[in-house]
Amino acid sequence: MRKLLLSMLASFLLTQFSLHAQTLVGKVTDAANQPIPNVSVVVKGTQTGTATATDGTYQIEAGQGKTVVFSSLGYGTKEVVVKGTTLDVALNKSDTRNLDEVVVVGYGTKIKKDLTGNIAKVKGSDVQGMPVTNLNQALQGRAAGVFVETNNGKLGEGVKVRIRGAGSLSASNAPLYVVDGIPISTDANSGNPIADINFNDVESFDILKDASAAAIYGSRAANGVVLITTKKGKAGKTSFQVNTQFGINSPTRYRGFLEAKEYVGLLREAAVNSDKLEGVDPADPAQYPGSWLQFAERRLTRYSGWSDWRKLETNTNWEKLAFNDRAATSALDVSASGGTDKTKFYISLSNINQTGILIGNSLKRTSARINLEQSVSEKFKIGFNLSLTQTKTGRVPDDNEFSTPMQIVALSPVTPFKDLNGNVYNSPTTTYQNPYVDFTDGKFNSTSYRNIGNIFGQYNFNSSLFFRSELGIDLQNQNDDQFYGPNTSFGNGTNGYGESGWFRGLTYNTNNYFSFKKKLNNVHDLDAVLGMSFQDYNISFANVFGEQFPTQQLQKLASSGLIKGGSSSESASAFLSYFSRVNYKFDNKYLLSLSGRVDGSSVFGNDKRYGFFPSVSAGWILSEENFLRNSNTLSFLKLRGSWGLTGNADGFGNFASRGLWGGTAYNGTGGLASSQLANPDLRWEKSNQVDIGLDFGFLQNRISGEIDYYVRKTNDLIYNVPVPGNTGFSSKTVNVGSMENKGFEFVLNTDNIIQKDFRWSTSLNLATNQNRITKLDGEQKLLPGNDGRYMNSLIVGEAIGVFYGPKFAGADPANGDALYFKQDGKTTNDYNEAGNFIVGNPNPKYIGGVTNTFSYKGIELSFLFQGVFGNQIMNGAGGFMSASFDWFDNQTRDQLNRWQKPGDITNVPQLRLGYGNGISASSRYIENGDYVRLKNLTVAYNFKSDVLKRLKLNSAKVYLTGVNLLTFTKYSGWDPEVNTDYRASNRNQGGDFYAAPQVKNVSIGLNVGF
Amino acid sequence: MKKLLIISSIVSILISGCAKKLDILPLQSVDETLVFTSDANIKAALNGAYDAASSGSLLGGGFQNFSELLGADGEITWVGTFNQPDEVFRKEILTNNSFVLGTYLQGYRVINICNNIIASINIVNEADRDAVKGQALFLRGLMYFELVKLYAKPYSAGNVTTNLGLQVITKPTKDGVTSNNNVPRSTIKETYDQIIADLTAAKSIIGGETGVYASEAAVSAVLSRVYLQTADYAKARDEANNVINNSGNTLESDYAFAFNNSFPSTEDIYVLPVTSQDGVNDLHTYWSILQFGARDGDIEINQSHLDLYETDDARLDFFYTDGNAIDRSGKWRLQYKFLSVIRLAEMYLTRAECNARLSTSVGATPEEDLDVIRSRAGLESTDATVDNIVYERRLELAHEGQRIHDIKRLKGSSDGFAYDANELVLPIPLREVNASAGVLKQNPGYE
Repeated sequence: MRKLLLSMLASFLLTQFSLHAQTLVGKVTDAANQPIPNVSVVVKGTQTGTATATDGTYQIEAGQGKTVVFSSLGYGTKEVVVKGTTLDVALNKSDTRNLDEVVVVGYGTKIKKDLTGNIAKVKGSDVQGMPVTNLNQALQGRAAGVFVETNNGKLGEGVKVRIRGAGSLSASNAPLYVVDGIPISTDANSGNPIADINFNDVESFDILKDASAAAIYGSRAANGVVLITTKKGKAGKTSFQVNTQFGINSPTRYRGFLEAKEYVGLLREAAVNSDKLEGVDPADPAQYPGSWLQFAERRLTRYSGWSDWRKLETNTNWEKLAFNDRAATSALDVSASGGTDKTKFYISLSNINQTGILIGNSLKRTSARINLEQSVSEKFKIGFNLSLTQTKTGRVPDDNEFSTPMQIVALSPVTPFKDLNGNVYNSPTTTYQNPYVDFTDGKFNSTSYRNIGNIFGQYNFNSSLFFRSELGIDLQNQNDDQFYGPNTSFGNGTNGYGESGWFRGLTYNTNNYFSFKKKLNNVHDLDAVLGMSFQDYNISFANVFGEQFPTQQLQKLASSGLIKGGSSSESASAFLSYFSRVNYKFDNKYLLSLSGRVDGSSVFGNDKRYGFFPSVSAGWILSEENFLRNSNTLSFLKLRGSWGLTGNADGFGNFASRGLWGGTAYNGTGGLASSQLANPDLRWEKSNQVDIGLDFGFLQNRISGEIDYYVRKTNDLIYNVPVPGNTGFSSKTVNVGSMENKGFEFVLNTDNIIQKDFRWSTSLNLATNQNRITKLDGEQKLLPGNDGRYMNSLIVGEAIGVFYGPKFAGADPANGDALYFKQDGKTTNDYNEAGNFIVGNPNPKYIGGVTNTFSYKGIELSFLFQGVFGNQIMNGAGGFMSASFDWFDNQTRDQLNRWQKPGDITNVPQLRLGYGNGISASSRYIENGDYVRLKNLTVAYNFKSDVLKRLKLNSAKVYLTGVNLLTFTKYSGWDPEVNTDYRASNRNQGGDFYAAPQVKNVSIGLNVGF
Repeated sequence: MKKLLIISSIVSILISGCAKKLDILPLQSVDETLVFTSDANIKAALNGAYDAASSGSLLGGGFQNFSELLGADGEITWVGTFNQPDEVFRKEILTNNSFVLGTYLQGYRVINICNNIIASINIVNEADRDAVKGQALFLRGLMYFELVKLYAKPYSAGNVTTNLGLQVITKPTKDGVTSNNNVPRSTIKETYDQIIADLTAAKSIIGGETGVYASEAAVSAVLSRVYLQTADYAKARDEANNVINNSGNTLESDYAFAFNNSFPSTEDIYVLPVTSQDGVNDLHTYWSILQFGARDGDIEINQSHLDLYETDDARLDFFYTDGNAIDRSGKWRLQYKFLSVIRLAEMYLTRAECNARLSTSVGATPEEDLDVIRSRAGLESTDATVDNIVYERRLELAHEGQRIHDIKRLKGSSDGFAYDANELVLPIPLREVNASAGVLKQNPGYE
């Protein structure tokens, strides 16, 4: 009996032991059999837990009959009862936002469910491999209320980003970019420095939109903050990812100009019309000499080169020649990540090589990254995140330069491309300097090296308190190397022109803060941050330029026979900040958050240097209340509200408060001359924002979303207000007015179909924004902006940069004169008598995006439509290209519809050479800019697991992807996503001027993991 | 707890050290409070005023091009793509014309720098004080003179006590806009009085020699132009006579030698230094061609102008023909060449004209002076009638920026517009009218 008892006990213990100590192994994959790393694996009801390695495998102590819970960001949760010692699990992808998703906030992270502010998160994986160069282009259409507009189709150049509208007149309207805690520089000698960032390394973009989310960044945050978190390693087997892709680039649209026959016909018609106005009959041989017709025909002969325009021997399509017909993009990314409990790493190497759609335009970026974290002890960890990027850009001149490729469209179709010796025709045979020659004989190579990195140490005093110190740098080094041969517009007459420009940007930043987190009595959740940061920006430039090169082969300034000039300059600014934030949650239902930041900035005068930026926000999770807790349909409901104050001290120069005299030269001697009017009272722009939001989820969050309403009021707007020129100055930088943005944001994520093999989910975002200037200064209600080509004005009660000026009334049916409305509604043919009206608004009323994702077995399909509505575009080049043949520029095809005889009703006035009939800025050149675009389409096939096993791979997929594939718009120009680069600014929006259309790309790719 | 204290103290040290780092000074500019504190700085500001006055929108070509385009009268044609000069050429100038604005703003900028110098003149070393003040007065007077000729009705149109001239500002701008800047436009008479006062005051104290800086001769030369505009022929004659007798300058032996120089010619009374390193010559920019480093030949010379010359006139030979058989002015052919503001030849013609009008022979007879000019051009003598002298002036000074002002004072016409037509006056820039709080009145025809 004793024996029996003993053996029973032993067997019981053994059983118990085996139940508790049994090791369970397995692999977690997604529906496409791809391993999912970092899945949380927890034995239900215990503290036992682990995470999957990068190849999806895990190992955990879990006995028979226990329930294991698998969950991961972006996937559904699965509970499985253990049977046996191996357990492979497939998790379904959940495109709805997981409420337990971790959101990065300033100086910390937070669970989405507990947020009281508005933060839009875009996962790095959503934009992985998108064949665009700037991360903002990848984000376009993916986050509610984030408006992204690429100036034109040039690579590596300006991209406008507006979070909840434009808040400023003169200061920056761009968000603050923070990479792994370090605010980065957005200055450069040329191009857009955001293009230096390889977004394939990015784990997540967290866009802080409302003031309570952003106020922890105080004076830097008035335009929102984009927090960029790079990928980090995870403990486990080292895994490799290789992605390679190749695609072709083409313009989204050709515009179309007159053909030779039409050109000759219309030009002669214009000349005859001008002659008739002067009482000359050019058909009469006696009156022909000195007539406009003679002038025009002589020009036609000049433009025709070897060919005869009367016989229409030449019909050159110059527009096509502006574009590179072999434009392509290729990319290769390799990364490895892994580590142990103590050391974790992520390394990557990436190369993208893109030739632009415009001749001479290219971008090549090679970047490497190492992110490393080491636990020194249980309490202390250190690490660094470091990236090094080389970006080589072949630039083309600004849109307003004769030498920019797109201005080639002005050339006459009667001009042959090449002369009989095979040389490209140039001025004087071409109407203007031929940009094609600037392409063949010129170069603008920009090479930049950029090092963004930080080192950090974190000391955990105990489980609830840690101190973290970060020191980051952003080091930029850029060289712009330019050379233009003797036949180019820049090098003409001087035997070539060369220029070398150097730029160095050095930003260093330190963050030091304590973070505290504690749960008391199971109902009080408290966390708090207290710290300081200091940031110093320093930029310096040097350049030298010369002429007289002995031969076109020698393009460096060492060979310049005449060094014409050179310069160097330096500028700096600094911020010193103290910040704190306290979050409190009671009973998982009631949320409260307070934050405050004191900022000091060097850009203001001594008395106006410091500012205080507080915020407060609160949330109520209604679905945790008893009366909703048991609802079957409603799974989550949270009401939240916030108020905060943020500031703006960027974008209007580092010394705007001072009265300045700058150095000049006369007769080889230095001089001093006035350059800036003082304003010692200059102070921060302050932005007050209120946000009310509702987060909801239905049917186990299969339907979830957010609704927000915000009102953002910016006061003390900084603006260069015109002062009487008799002061010797044209403007003064003052805090002049107020502006308001208000709007709704709506996000809806749905899992439409969830079946074993087939899934369909949709993610929709829509935003409205109404921008309004509420005050300029006491006296001024209107700062008109009609400069003859554009009309972006500032008017109280209207949106920033509305088009204000003459309203075109079409061609006078009686005589073909261009007519304008006078203020009293009658028409006039005298432009100076025309009234001024608000005839357009470049700010969109609505923006939105919708992503649909389908997956069927191993096949995935996703597409993103993005749209912009309610804005207008003004073609500043209308006075050249749609100008009733005022001059010899080739004309757009709509000019065929010109006024020809009394009684004609048309919007194209009579053609008149040299008479400027209706070519000044007016509503004639304004059109609606609404568009809907298939921004991104991806079809992918994931190889099956048996294939993978044979190939010894963890994952493999082939895919077809593309950007800007379809555009639906009524805009008659090249592309409705446009803002000509040479004048793009807060006020100057919606302008088109020979701006290149956007890049359309179709790529195929292969992604392998092992 | 000990560690917490250590970290806290490190943080507090960091914080205290950083506040001072917010004191950052500009490196490319000087704060205005530091400029007018020393002799050297004020002299540097004077050099800065010369530089500003020589910019492309003013003496570097802006003034001259406006004059030639307004006075084109079929003799030249603007064929360039810029709308702004084209509007001036067509006499259909929009009030938002950016060239018209640029010249206006830059002109007043020079005036303000001069006002600053004059207000702080006592800081200049006594020995140089007069010379510095004289030059500042000269530049101010010259700017008001050039601006009033373009932006207001001509003196010859009469009604000089009611026609509007310019806003006359003689105090420096400090601490922003004051009531000093919101003054109505003075009359033509008052504006000219200020110009004459400045130049007269400058003349007596300026001293110096002719060249790239102003001298007594330069002041006299400008004064002779001012008096010519006001039809005060006796004074114009005397100032011209002063230049001819006392400047030390002589005419170049060959007409062509007066242009395209890399140094002042012997007949330059006041000349702008233009080199590959510094200075602007916008006459070259718009009148020359790509081959010589200019724009694309924006201004063409027409046959009707060439027909004005006698066939053996050396000045006719000086025109050249480009690859498209278009005639070009030889005066502005080459890049990086000095740009004469006033040259001695004009003084002979002014003295001759005034002597002829007044039937006097101060300095020389009109015949002698006219002959000096004609013989250099390889021409025979001719009767020194006022008409002949004025005709000679038109050829000798062709395309140097004097045309419209001569048309206006001689009550001629250009392109069908009478000398006093609204269309031959530039508008006050729209921006200025808007920024003036209703004080600044627009020119007739542009309201």
